[in-house]
Parts: sequence; structure tokens; C-alpha cells
Amino acid sequence: MLRHPIIALLLALGVSLSASAAEVVVSDVTSRAVPINLNGFAGEAKTILEFDLYVAGFDLVAPAQAQYSLNGKSGGALEGVLSDVNNKATLFNRSYPGGSARAQAHALADDVVQAITGRKGVSRTKLVFKVQKDRVSEVYASDFDGANPVQLTADGNIVAAPAWRPGRKSIVYTSYRAGNADIYSQDLTTGNRKALVRFSGSNISPAPSPDGSKLAMILSKAGSPDLWVGDAEGANPRRLTTTAADESSPCWSPDGATLCVVSRESGFPQLYTVAASGGAMRRLTTAGVRNTTEPDWSPDGKWIAFTRSRGDYFDICIVPATGGDAKVITEGEDPSWAPNSRTLVFARRTSKFGPRKLSLLDWPTGHVKDIAQVAGSSSQPSWSH
Amino acid sequence: MPGPASHFQTSRTEPFSKTPMKPFSKLGSLALVLILSLAAGCKKGQKNYTPLPGYSGTPGASSGLGKGQPILPPARPLTGDGAGSAGADGASGVNNPDGPGGQPSREEIEGMIANREQFKANTVYFDYDKSAVKAEGKANIQAVASYLKAHSDNKVAIEGHCDERGTEEYNRALGERRALSARDALIASGIGADRVVTRSFGEDKPAELGHDEAAWGKNRRGEFILLTPPPAGGLR
Repeated sequence: MLRHPIIALLLALGVSLSASAAEVVVSDVTSRAVPINLNGFAGEAKTILEFDLYVAGFDLVAPAQAQYSLNGKSGGALEGVLSDVNNKATLFNRSYPGGSARAQAHALADDVVQAITGRKGVSRTKLVFKVQKDRVSEVYASDFDGANPVQLTADGNIVAAPAWRPGRKSIVYTSYRAGNADIYSQDLTTGNRKALVRFSGSNISPAPSPDGSKLAMILSKAGSPDLWVGDAEGANPRRLTTTAADESSPCWSPDGATLCVVSRESGFPQLYTVAASGGAMRRLTTAGVRNTTEPDWSPDGKWIAFTRSRGDYFDICIVPATGGDAKVITEGEDPSWAPNSRTLVFARRTSKFGPRKLSLLDWPTGHVKDIAQVAGSSSQPSWSH
Repeated sequence: MPGPASHFQTSRTEPFSKTPMKPFSKLGSLALVLILSLAAGCKKGQKNYTPLPGYSGTPGASSGLGKGQPILPPARPLTGDGAGSAGADGASGVNNPDGPGGQPSREEIEGMIANREQFKANTVYFDYDKSAVKAEGKANIQAVASYLKAHSDNKVAIEGHCDERGTEEYNRALGERRALSARDALIASGIGADRVVTRSFGEDKPAELGHDEAAWGKNRRGEFILLTPPPAGGLR
């Protein structure tokens, strides 16, 4: 087929070119999905591979349309051979002994993402989120695709805004179990829970800094819901905003130098940035959209994802972290970035004002897929880092 | 290919494609794999399989699964503080009212008896996405203030709520801002700052379950809960 060695060489180079082209995707606003054909997988392995690759920005296509093919077999140890269809080059040939069938499939999906795009896969990361049933809500954790859900609280009360403490098997969240909105930490290895912040008034929206040394939060103890930053356990909080309006939903830049927070200072919700060391609040331009809440800063520092409200609906939007034109991506609320600065988990309503469910979004391709759902209304997801 | 029992071993070294490869193309693809492996930062001589937890074939091999990622604990949801926890005593703020103008301490409030009936008719309502107490709510606040003036050992908790049309944490902050506006009005009516505590439930505790303005108008509210000292000589 490839009679000329130079053509073969060019095609071989094309493989690495396409790999670097896929890398560029992260900084582009849109990109085409990578077409891949899956062959030889069955059952759970097939389902998982299809899910994982779709939310990683691949399109699952017939052999004739495929740029890459993944051949393998499931049952026993999963095996996978990844090839470039154009030049028949084998990118890898690997088996996955041990673990569960689910773990094997996730590991293979991550290897495919790594081999083709150079990005680390996120198929073996975790989520933590809130699940509401009737008037009671509890904190849950699960795999990134919603599998293996674990209920972490059973207080029969109200919880809110669970968030991972980066690099630790530990989370923080708000619970009303003592009759007031207080901030707790919970170690996921030992099961120990600790009340961290419980001033009179609201102690809400805890956000651990990327290095874990600080905790940003919204406290109303000074007479208005303001942004405060305490140490890792929330002690010695220092007030960073002094508006008479309410602030909400702080998040950190990856270098820990800046916070993005919502303020209603101008009469409607807008995003602002403020230095972690203190100083003036600066409005973040989100041209094209207003009523902006729930910011989350991408781990690579380039983007801020957020929610905009328009009447009775909500949309996931993304804006450069320095401000600029906001892009409306899809209907939904409360985005949280994956470690790859590309995939997001968010909540969306099953019907207008209906219960919420969690979905994943690969924003460069616009791919959206619901994860496995726990019974009830799921919201406020936070992706492990 | 040998029987199924040995497929682990063979698959590490050979593709399972049954079609034999020509020596040249095999060499070419091997070279390409090497280039790609180096580009991906793989170590030279890395084995072509990924052992997962529970696989005993490679003693000491660290697992590729969940590396650097939290492993979920067994299901044991917490109903208490958890064994070995420092509990609430080490928390910021418990015994730490915020100086003059601050709210009563949590210790004081948690020792009192809540009466949700006393001020039931005095609930105040708010406009969409607003936290200012409306003119028609002022009489209700006056009624609460008069009662508190006549019962100097009583305190009050104000619970702020929102309709479902905001995002969750935004509503939680907005509900608190509403409760604080009602608190400011009570203070302006002569009630001591150390007698009024605020809470917010955001959109989590609607008074009405409908999805229209009739329900939303009832949900954007501030409720007053009377707090009385425990009866003298009674069980604390």
C-alpha cells in the first residue's frame, strides 16, 4: 500500500504531528473530536471504554472513518492494541492483569488518551458531590463516571458545597447538622470528621487552596457575607472583601496568588478577582453574558468556568482567566474542572426546575455525557486533584 | 496461538492480530512505537502491561490504578463526629463572638429553646434577587422588635431563604444577606446586636414547592424564630 518510503515517513511524522495538534486543543476554543474505532471489546469493558473515550474528546466511529483503531479483548485480563489506521503503526500493545474489569478498562482508556494526545487521562479520578432526597441532603463520592458511589454523611440534615483538599484523601463541606451552616473536614481514610469553622452566622462555600495551606470561605460574622481566608483548618480567618453585598463561591488560581469570587455589589451577581494577600476587588470581564456565579479556575491557570443565569435557565460558560469574551458551552450549573484542564463535571436539570443530575463535558469538542446517577437530585460536584 | 490460559504472557510480546506482519512493517512499527514511547516519556525497557491492584504477577510493582488519586473509603457514612475527632471544640468561632455589633455566640444560642410559632405571622418577604427589607415587611419587624423589648431575656434567630431561580451557593449567600438585612432593621429598632443571630438555607428549604411566582414569592423570605432561656431548674 505505501510503496514510497518517503510517504510512509511523512505519515509516520503525521502521527506525532497529530499528537501535538491534539495538545494545542487545550488552548483552542473548539476542536474536532479524534475519530477512533473500537473492535473486539464486549460488556462492561466496551461500555466503559466508549464512555471514557467519548468524554476525552474522541468520536467512536466505523473502521472506514477512524484515524485510530483500538483492538482488544475483554474477559480475564483486558488487552488492547492501539494503532494508527493510516500507516498501520502500532502505538501500543498492552494487557491489564489484576484489578476489576472496570479498573482495567479505565486504565486502558487512560493509556489511549496518553498515547494519542500526550495528555494524562482522567478516567481514574474521583468526584465528590451533594445528593438531595426530599428535604435531606448528604455528601457522596464516586468514580469520575459515577460508578462506585459511596455515601459519606448520614446526618439526615442539609449539606452543601463539598470540595476535595488537593492531594489529600480528605474533603471539606458545609453541614447544618448543628443547626447552623458550619464548615467541616472529613478524612476519607479514617472517617474522622472535624468541625473547622462555626462562627455565628453563615460559614459556607469552603475552598481549599491548591497547595492545601489555606481555606477560602464565605463568613457573615462581620455583618455581611464576605470572602475570608484562613489557614488549612480554617483558623485565623482574614477578611478579604468588605462590601455590604453578599459574596459567594470562591475559587483559587492554581498558583494560589489570586481568588475569583462572586459579588452582588453592583446589584446582580458578577465575577471578581482579588489577591490572596488582600487588596481591591477587580471585576472579571465576561463579555456577552451576565448574572455570573460559581467560578472554577482551570488547573493550568488559563480559564475560568462558571454558571450564568438567564431567567429560569443556567448555562456553563468559559472565559479566559484574564477576562474577555465568555463562551456559552452548554446548559447546566456549577462546573468543576478535571486535572486535565479540559473535562468538566457539572449539574443539569432533568426538566425545568426538576431534579439535577451530573454530567461530564469535554469542552473543546462539546461532548456531554451523563454519569451514573445516585437516586435523588445530585449537584455541586467537585473533581479530585 | 496457545490456549486461553496463557494469553497473559503471549499478549505482552505479540499483537493478537492473527495476520502475520511482514518483517519490514513490523520493524517499522516497532521503531514508531519506540519513538512514541520516548515522546510520551516512557522509561526504556518498561514492560508492556499495566498491573492493577490485586494482580500478583509482579511482586512489588506499584499499581497504575489511582496513583496519586484518592481511593474511596468503604461505605460508612458519618452520623457523628467520627472516632478520634477533635469534634466541635477545636473549631474556629465557637466561643468567639465578633466583638461589638457581633452576633451572640454559638454557645449562648445552642443552650436556648427555639419557638418557631411565636413569630410565624411576622415572616418578611423579598423581591427577586434582592435583599432589602420591603416597606410592607417593616411592620412585621416592628412586631418582633416590640416582643423582644418586652422579653429582655429572649433572643431571636432569623432564617433567610431564596427561591430556586439562583445557583445554590449564590442563594446561600443571598439568603444570609436577607437575614442580615432583617437583623439590621431589628437593631435599628433598638434591639441589641447580641440578641439576633442569622442563618441561611438558600434554596434548600422552600416554604412552597411550586415552580411559579406564587410559590417563589413565598420562598424568598426571612423567618423569625424566638429563642428563650431554658426553664429555671429544668434539665439543660
